[in-house]
Amino acid sequence: MDSHIRKVYVPMTETGFYILLCLREEAHGYNIVKKTESLTHGEIKISPGTLYGSLSKMEKDGLIKFIREEEKRKIYCITELGTQVLDLEMKRIERLYKSMQEAK
Amino acid sequence: MRDTKTELKLFTIPEWKKEEIYLREQHKNGWEFVKVDFIGLYHFKKCDPKDVIYQLDYNPESVKQKEEYIQIFRDCGWEYLQNYVGYSYFRKSASDMDGEEEIFCDDASRLDVMKQVFKQRMLPLLCIFLLIIIPAILMRSQIDTPVNHVLMVIFGIMFGLYLVLLIKFAIQFWKYFESIHK
Repeated sequence: MDSHIRKVYVPMTETGFYILLCLREEAHGYNIVKKTESLTHGEIKISPGTLYGSLSKMEKDGLIKFIREEEKRKIYCITELGTQVLDLEMKRIERLYKSMQEAK
Repeated sequence: MRDTKTELKLFTIPEWKKEEIYLREQHKNGWEFVKVDFIGLYHFKKCDPKDVIYQLDYNPESVKQKEEYIQIFRDCGWEYLQNYVGYSYFRKSASDMDGEEEIFCDDASRLDVMKQVFKQRMLPLLCIFLLIIIPAILMRSQIDTPVNHVLMVIFGIMFGLYLVLLIKFAIQFWKYFESIHK
């Protein structure tokens, strides 16, 4: 993983995190919105502008890849690099959570 | 009663927030936005007054994949209206939203749009100003002929216009930046 990826994606935005989390399975943009909404019990609603921008950026940086198109919707999936970044993020968040518990 | 109207309204490049408010106000007063063309001619048609949120996205890259781009917004309930000088126009009725909705949900993406506008629209203007207008004025100030005096006046006016515009833009960007980092 090069330094650019590290700098941009670690830590990443909440939207970015949910996009990668959802794309461990193939999905299109609106799938990601719906899945995130149900995962967070409606607390996080990803907006289309933010979503489109993040998907384009992540595709360009090789974190996700385009699989195929279905009814004008592009279907994406996470790549090897994307999985590495997601793992780093998960470890970071786990550490935050643990520290939070210990500091109580 | 006429059921269409056209208004001339000028918004400078970074004033997209002002424009969104303007379109929302028009719709609240019973004028539905139809399109904008030429240099700021806004066309409206009469409608029942309603609270409709208008939002502008600046994403020139989306032109390459316009259908997919619009589809994502459509899935989220935003109606695509048109593209105008790089901006895409969307609207969604306030009654169709739960709470307040915007086409951007975090500051990172809002900042990205600002950077895009700055890089693609403001930087070229700044270059013309620094590399053409200022050198032209400096060079011509050495020559003393009647033609040159006329040219100097023209460049002087351009210098003034550019300076006013650039200062306006700088203030606008500063305001956006402040609102994000509050």
